Amino acid sequence: MTVAYETLREGDELPVLELAPGLGQVIRYLALNWVFPEFFFDAAAAKAQGMPGTLVPGPLKLGLLYRAVDQWLGDSGFIREVRAAHRRPDLTARPITIAGRVARVYAEAGARRADLELAVINQEGQPSVRGFAVVQFFAPT
Amino acid sequence: MPDTSLLTDDIRALAGVEHRLEPVRVTLRSVRRALEVYFGAPQPVTFADGDRVPGYAIAAFESDGESERPDIPHLLPNSLLISNDWQFERPLRLGEEFTRVYAITNIAERFGGRFGYSIDFRSEIRYIDADGAITARSGSTMTQYDAQSARGGGDAS
Repeated sequence: MTVAYETLREGDELPVLELAPGLGQVIRYLALNWVFPEFFFDAAAAKAQGMPGTLVPGPLKLGLLYRAVDQWLGDSGFIREVRAAHRRPDLTARPITIAGRVARVYAEAGARRADLELAVINQEGQPSVRGFAVVQFFAPT
Repeated sequence: MPDTSLLTDDIRALAGVEHRLEPVRVTLRSVRRALEVYFGAPQPVTFADGDRVPGYAIAAFESDGESERPDIPHLLPNSLLISNDWQFERPLRLGEEFTRVYAITNIAERFGGRFGYSIDFRSEIRYIDADGAITARSGSTMTQYDAQSARGGGDAS
């Protein structure tokens, strides 16, 4: 899908993205970064460290926020910034919801931009990540 | 909680020191792998040289050059990621190469809060294109704390 700057309004909501990042996705992330803390893929190692199970790495959740915004924005522009503030752990394979809304639509330095408020919501309805993004729309051709 | 600040002049002096990392190139493989990570399965990739690619291709470079970065000193026994971010001045393009600079950009301590006494280290990698322009930044803030005196919470990630 794509979105148009001209029709964008503050308060518009992004399509909700329902995900359940599993161990396979976590292992792909670890391999991409070539870091392998055992508590991310070994439930026994996670429990030995006092965690309830294996966790979804925080940086992976930043990328999932990016994906949600990218799918909404399509070819209309590019993501200038995406930020994640991590509040709670998310266990692997548990459902999460990525939600977002348009917080501000504005022109700045000759560019057409929008600020987005984002969140990763866990199964209990609690935000595990508070996110923020800035998108910039391409100039009309 | 320690009686005095653990932020000595030597520790504070780490902020702002720049370290040049090995250059990286946006390849089809790096884009394909990043897409597979964030979609959880292989994705069709049809980009050609010079095409705009999703910014999360940057994730494929974050561990490159890890051995060239100085270790963040371990001042407290526990650490976790509290925030991270990517910033882009323009879209990345397939085939372009970036030089990279790593730095700890801020060190701050907190007294109280859910972690008790804690120290935040913000670090950043800047991606610089062939024209010398900063094209992207990848940043993260790790907090160090002592779980014995923390009130709990946080994402061990």
